Amino acid sequence: MTTQPHRRRRRVVPALAATGIVLAGALAGLGPQVSSASSHREAPLIASDPAADNTDLYAFVSPERPGYVNLIANWIPFEEPDGGPNFYPFATDAAYNINVDSDGDAKADAVFRWTFKNVDRRGGSTFLYNNGPVTSLDDKNLLFKQTYTLSSSFNGGPFQTRISDAPVAPSRIGAASMPDYQKLRDQATVQLKGGWKLFAGQADDPFFLDLRVFDLLYGGDLSETGTDTLAGYNVNSLAIQVPFKDVALRGDAKRNPVIGVWTTTDRPKVRVTGQTELGPRGDRVQVSRLGNPLVNEVVVPANLKDAFNSISPDKDAGIPAVVKRVTDPELPKLIESIYGVPAPATPRNDLVEIFLTGITTKAGGPIKADLNSQLNNMDVDAKRFRPSEMLRLNLNVPVTAQPNRLGVLAKDLQGFPNGRRLTDDAVDIAVQAVEGAAQTGKLVDALAAGDKVDANDNTFGDVFPYVALPNQGAVNAGKGTGTAKSGTNASPAAAVGDSGPALSPVSAQASSGTALSTGILVAVIGVGSLVTILATWWLRRRRTAPAFARAEDTIPL
Amino acid sequence: MRSPLRTVAAGSIAAVALLAAGAVFGLRETPPPAPAPVAAQAPADRLAESISRAQARLRELPRDHETWAALGLAYVERARVTADPSLYPKAEGALRRSLKVRAADNPVALVGLGALANARHEFAAARTFATDALRGNPYNADAYGVLADAHTQLGDAPAATAAIQRMLDLRPGLAAYARASYDLEQHGRLTEATGLMRRALDAAVDPADVAFCRNQLGDLAWFAGDLEGAATEYAAGIAADPSYQPLLRGRARVAAASGRIDAAIADAATVATRTPTPDTLMEYAELLRLGGRAPEAERQLKLADAAHKIFVANGGSDDLTGAQLALTRGDAASAVRLARSEWRRRPFADVADVLGRALHAAGRDAEALPYARRAAGLGPRNASYAYHLATVSLAVGDDAGARAALRRVRELNPYFSPTDGPTAARALSALEAQR
Repeated sequence: MTTQPHRRRRRVVPALAATGIVLAGALAGLGPQVSSASSHREAPLIASDPAADNTDLYAFVSPERPGYVNLIANWIPFEEPDGGPNFYPFATDAAYNINVDSDGDAKADAVFRWTFKNVDRRGGSTFLYNNGPVTSLDDKNLLFKQTYTLSSSFNGGPFQTRISDAPVAPSRIGAASMPDYQKLRDQATVQLKGGWKLFAGQADDPFFLDLRVFDLLYGGDLSETGTDTLAGYNVNSLAIQVPFKDVALRGDAKRNPVIGVWTTTDRPKVRVTGQTELGPRGDRVQVSRLGNPLVNEVVVPANLKDAFNSISPDKDAGIPAVVKRVTDPELPKLIESIYGVPAPATPRNDLVEIFLTGITTKAGGPIKADLNSQLNNMDVDAKRFRPSEMLRLNLNVPVTAQPNRLGVLAKDLQGFPNGRRLTDDAVDIAVQAVEGAAQTGKLVDALAAGDKVDANDNTFGDVFPYVALPNQGAVNAGKGTGTAKSGTNASPAAAVGDSGPALSPVSAQASSGTALSTGILVAVIGVGSLVTILATWWLRRRRTAPAFARAEDTIPL
Repeated sequence: MRSPLRTVAAGSIAAVALLAAGAVFGLRETPPPAPAPVAAQAPADRLAESISRAQARLRELPRDHETWAALGLAYVERARVTADPSLYPKAEGALRRSLKVRAADNPVALVGLGALANARHEFAAARTFATDALRGNPYNADAYGVLADAHTQLGDAPAATAAIQRMLDLRPGLAAYARASYDLEQHGRLTEATGLMRRALDAAVDPADVAFCRNQLGDLAWFAGDLEGAATEYAAGIAADPSYQPLLRGRARVAAASGRIDAAIADAATVATRTPTPDTLMEYAELLRLGGRAPEAERQLKLADAAHKIFVANGGSDDLTGAQLALTRGDAASAVRLARSEWRRRPFADVADVLGRALHAAGRDAEALPYARRAAGLGPRNASYAYHLATVSLAVGDDAGARAALRRVRELNPYFSPTDGPTAARALSALEAQR
């Protein structure tokens, strides 16, 4: 008995030896965790995320359909046209939202939500998106396409599906592949019962600017601007047209004409810690947010962009870490160091206050006008009002026959920052914002001409969804290929009158003892800067009207 | 000023160097088989596009610290996708330049340096960079990604999980899902890990990212011994991005496990030619040995040695690969020394495994046993670790332990290695016959 272990062992070894194999590790091992490079699994860190890449938001009253408002949001900048294999899908694992706050509490009262599905007939054998000419959205040659579901929620109620399996206009992958793209655009423009119009798909990027205007912050030379950096590139657009009553407080746009709009994208919350695998049902994480133009590019300090994109507007007023950024903003100091223009005196509570609320006399700000704050809605409970960064629009401002690219600054009250039309020149306003000095009224001469890009490269359509067709051809090889049918924006420049602005700054003094004391978000800087711009602009117009008249004369609106 | 052309040239330095080495040593007389036919047009490479846009911008604006940082991060990402270590110095140059322009308040550059440190296996440094970045911007999801990777490699699993959860809470998406999936896998939760990797695949857009997710799904199927599922994922990944090398490695694994050694050798040859890293070359060598082509295997091992020297010359430190190379040379003493050095830096499952094997090769089985057990404990789903534990157990006379470990191998993935798999099966039969 005691010898048995030895016997056993002796029998094992010959058994192995008989196979002629030594029981030892192979030299590298082919298991995924065996060699160092594969066990040290390097996962993507900066992967493309089309859901997080929102670029611009527009909100304007329909010029051709009275009583309806358009909300247009864009994602994924710098889409190369005609790439063949270049196809820019919407994310299928995220929700895209356009949010509307009508009562001023900085929470959405109406949410329009798009979710997307892939219809992929490629069978894993090719990465090409079509197999011959595509003449309709149902064409068998279109191997890959997307559809969407639009649902909506009002006043915090559950989401209700308004349409399912609606078609997405595909990426325009060349004249040979898509000989009549207008037809595809038309097929992807749908009207629902009740009057809503919807569009989702690729379009020319309507934003026009020379991105180099921002380069001054890095020591760039503004004399080299004047080229539309986004000309020739496409974006993915979501557009919806709804009657005023569906977004106005209590459905009454006469009494409550002001809405605030912002876009978000979100994904379901995922947990790997704790007891449950997934968070509470319906719990979602916001991955991106956008309201006013250029907030992310120019306004929010780099270190706070992530925070800004992750919070909802009702949190804007409650982040103490950024208070200093708001009351003592960084950008004017940069300008001071570069151009020697003294930064305005701090704290900047006056400007901050105004822009968080919209232009109104009800928050004690320097602009004595009531334009686009929810505080001006008659049925608003002022006590529940919450300052926040969003694009605010007064639906009752009449449609301007000849829109001015400078919007409110040029007395065209229908334009930015009262909402935003496709033709509004957001950049030239923001350029002045970076030197923002309402208190001094001094402008930086080097910035006076802005980015010298005053209009988009493609004309816009005069019917929904307005955005131009996607560009074709190499980005720098010629423009205008994406023009939508029957553009109306080629009319002569609007005459700029000599009369004073409808709104005028009354005081640059900070009004102390206001309701908005502490905690104001980052984004406020942008908002504040815009107000600064407004004020500065008027001051400047008074003094140097000819220079500005010349600039405005060139506006092809 | 940097020119795009020069970038392309520099980007392929590693490959060129290896080709040159091959020419000098006369190691490449056998041309690799032609790769599978692909469509004429390659899918869009958005990473390359963003790199050239950043370069163009920096030519105009050398003081744009944000773009320098973004360029550095993009280089690190590209180095990962292409397995080209010559991009590391370029990444470091861009990131240091960003910090030179803006020394304070520049978390993105710190995140980039952290990602670079992880890529170079300097995990403690990566952890520091990520922590510093988060001090400047506690909402930076990328910094949590770097931190999670560093914690994982340093063996601090709870800290890694916490960082990943933070990343998921800040910005759910491919990068967070992929790490969360790996974390679940490390904890043996393979079903949930697979579910999250599917979610990552849903979020993937760029062909290289789709390929990454498909490859991980293939590996997860492989881990579970699901050869068919693995083959399906690898094939789908190759359809999305034929240039993503790990997919061919996966396909080679499946082919070898299915007894199709020639097909496996063909894929491994393609991989080793396109991305001649130590591990691809070692895999190729192992398959050549398996196919009875020992002299060719020896040549590939020499190339693997050269590739490792290039990795080190580009600022990388990887004593684990050094130890594995020493093992293949039969230099057990060096293998032990190098593996110990790596273990001090990174007490991780695969390091314990290699250290155990090295000690076993040196005849120091009593010392090897704790490391083999540690590896099997840290990587409870890994059939190779279980097999190596069986090897050491048998050597110290622990038949029961060997039998248990070999049963574990059979249960996990009997196909784990084309060479060791059949051996493990025979050994288990022999051991079980003793009862």
